[in-house]
Amino acid sequence: MNKCMNSEIQEMLPDLLHDALGADARGRGEAHLATCEECREELEILRAFKSAAVFAPAINVDRVVRQIPPYRTIVPATDLPARTRVVSWLVAASVAITVLGVGSLLVARQNVTQTPGAIVTAPNAGKIPIQPTQIPSPTPEPFTLPGIVVPAGQPHTHALALAADVDGLSDGNLVQLMNEMNRFDALPATEPDPVISVDSGY
Amino acid sequence: MTPSPANRPEETDMELIDRWKAGDTRAATRLVGRHSQALARFAASAGERDGIEELVQDTFVRAFASLDSFRGESTLRTWLFTIERRLMLDRRRAERRSRDTVPVEESDHVSEYGALDSLIAEEMQERVRRSLEALSPTQREVFTLRVQQGLSYKEIAVIVDSTEGAARVHYHNAIRTVKEFLSDE
Repeated sequence: MNKCMNSEIQEMLPDLLHDALGADARGRGEAHLATCEECREELEILRAFKSAAVFAPAINVDRVVRQIPPYRTIVPATDLPARTRVVSWLVAASVAITVLGVGSLLVARQNVTQTPGAIVTAPNAGKIPIQPTQIPSPTPEPFTLPGIVVPAGQPHTHALALAADVDGLSDGNLVQLMNEMNRFDALPATEPDPVISVDSGY
Repeated sequence: MTPSPANRPEETDMELIDRWKAGDTRAATRLVGRHSQALARFAASAGERDGIEELVQDTFVRAFASLDSFRGESTLRTWLFTIERRLMLDRRRAERRSRDTVPVEESDHVSEYGALDSLIAEEMQERVRRSLEALSPTQREVFTLRVQQGLSYKEIAVIVDSTEGAARVHYHNAIRTVKEFLSDE
């Protein structure tokens, strides 16, 4: 066991072995070794271990290098020619305009399918009436049902509710009705509550 | 005036990496030549018996394939040691699994350091080698990296996936065990 209490020197022995110390530290270490037999013995053990490890097999560098795949070529965007960059920006702008246009149409269509005068209940905001957004129909012909006439240009989001008798619809009204149905977001998630007759005795 | 090759300062690892990325295969040769023998010594000292060259080769192949993830926070050699150590652990796990299924052969009973037996001649070296068998795997790795490679505790901590303080404790326990072993002989 090394009974020397100079932990600083003991710490630096491997660095001394590898000549990895600055001039000051090296001088301190060598001065200490000159007077400390324990540390000299420890350094000899370290030196023996270091030289023993030299007997690892020699590595054939060329053989190793042959197995290394070439680096994949990545061309940074800034290295592209100026013309290519302009085209890239045009493509990006077109994509952005298309996405914005489609998104606006979807939002507008979603608002049209809202029931007129629907009430939305927010936790802290009370009841807020929502008015349907009126979007002119591409074919402003009046929506007619037997006994009901909806003027041209008026929203008719409640057309399905009025169409109790589908047989009475004209071809144009039927197409219009189908278009209205296509605007539905989804079917109701739950079954309606069962109707209990007042006269049933319950 | 261009400096002559003899006077040209040694290129850093990062410069060689950049040259290799630019398509200069000689840079790869320089890097492999610079670090391969240290990797082989580490593998031999850590107890690898067979296929050290294949291990070193696999280390370089993996390292070069993922050089984009090397950020230069440690030295390249430390990073290579880390990769090699993981490969060694994978090998040992695979060997352990195969030992569980394949009947044990007589050759399996040789010492973990058998490959070095014929190479180490001097008595002191032989004693040191045997004393290393008394160390735990982690102590042996830390001791090897500190004494054989001259790495700092900070670098060792990265390689063995530990802390600087823990690496220091492992080293001091290792040197104490080695010296006790040698004094008992």
